[in-house]
Amino acid sequence: MSNLVYLMCSLPSLKFGQVPPITIDEFSSEAKDQLSTKHFKQLEPVDIYQAADSEGKVGLKSIGAMLSDLQEDISEIRTAKAQKRAPNLTRLPQAVINANPLEREKLIMRWQWEELDNIQAGEVFTFTEVMVYKLRLQILSRLNSFSKERGSQVLASVVNPSKKKEE
Amino acid sequence: MAGAKIKYTKTERARQKKILKVSLRMLPLFEAMEKSLMATINTIAERIEEIRQVIEKNKQAAEPWVAVMSDSHVDIKAFISVNKIITKHVDVAGVRVEQYESVDFNVMPISDDTPLWVDDAVVLMQEQLQLLAEIECLDEQIRLLEEELLDVRARIKLFENRRIPNAKTAIRKIGQKLQDDERLTIATAKVVKTSQKEEVMV
Repeated sequence: MSNLVYLMCSLPSLKFGQVPPITIDEFSSEAKDQLSTKHFKQLEPVDIYQAADSEGKVGLKSIGAMLSDLQEDISEIRTAKAQKRAPNLTRLPQAVINANPLEREKLIMRWQWEELDNIQAGEVFTFTEVMVYKLRLQILSRLNSFSKERGSQVLASVVNPSKKKEE
Repeated sequence: MAGAKIKYTKTERARQKKILKVSLRMLPLFEAMEKSLMATINTIAERIEEIRQVIEKNKQAAEPWVAVMSDSHVDIKAFISVNKIITKHVDVAGVRVEQYESVDFNVMPISDDTPLWVDDAVVLMQEQLQLLAEIECLDEQIRLLEEELLDVRARIKLFENRRIPNAKTAIRKIGQKLQDDERLTIATAKVVKTSQKEEVMV
């Protein structure tokens, strides 16, 4: 418990949309130092992109459920698009349907952030709070990777690779 | 022809007349071919410009969301690549060229946990790659047509500056020479006749 308190007190607070104050690696290193081996092993598979790890283990049921719901809605959007009908979303906000791809990803991440608020509610200095912190750090890290300049370079490298080579 | 020795014979004059006749008949054909090639090249260049505008329009349409392509979670390059550009042989203004048909893509299947933006990015990239492939084919068509145009222009120049004037000159010179020879023959015959008459009188 004291380790969790120490870890959570030593970590900078996170706000949606900000530049991540620490990297995932820095967080992992800090967590490894402060947490018990058992807790650290539990923390490792926690991933915002995967409802379950390769062995099918879920870090926390509520997190797993949130990610499963997200995947279901994403799948529904894809199916509806293929079938040329309006998607019937269960969890994601309706705004994601008509938003452009960037805004849509941001809306999804905002939704995840808010869901994590609910998961974390009432959890102070608990392992759940540590897991939520890691997931939020992943969200911020991904959000921060969006760059118009780098995105344009990626697009150019795919659609015009020869031109890039000449340059 | 310049410097070449002209044979001052009726056969040669007939040959030169034939060359002139053929050249005068061929010249308008080559001129028409030149016009046709130029018009085709211009049409293709206009089409390239149209495609470039579409590419630019697509690029501008994607500008508000292009930032998402730098997503640290996804390597979009792994999702799509060009396998082969499919073309077919066609004759354009008498030149055999490759006409764009389609692009065969290698597209990685998109799993449920793949972010949604990947779908849009793949569609955009496919369209841009198809348009660029079409431009590539059209550029090659222009290159081949320009090669043919140079050849046709060289022929027109050859007819206008060499064959036709040379044949005309040769016909004129041979005509003069034959006329001179004829006069000389007549004059010689007259002289001979006069000399014979004088001998008889003496």
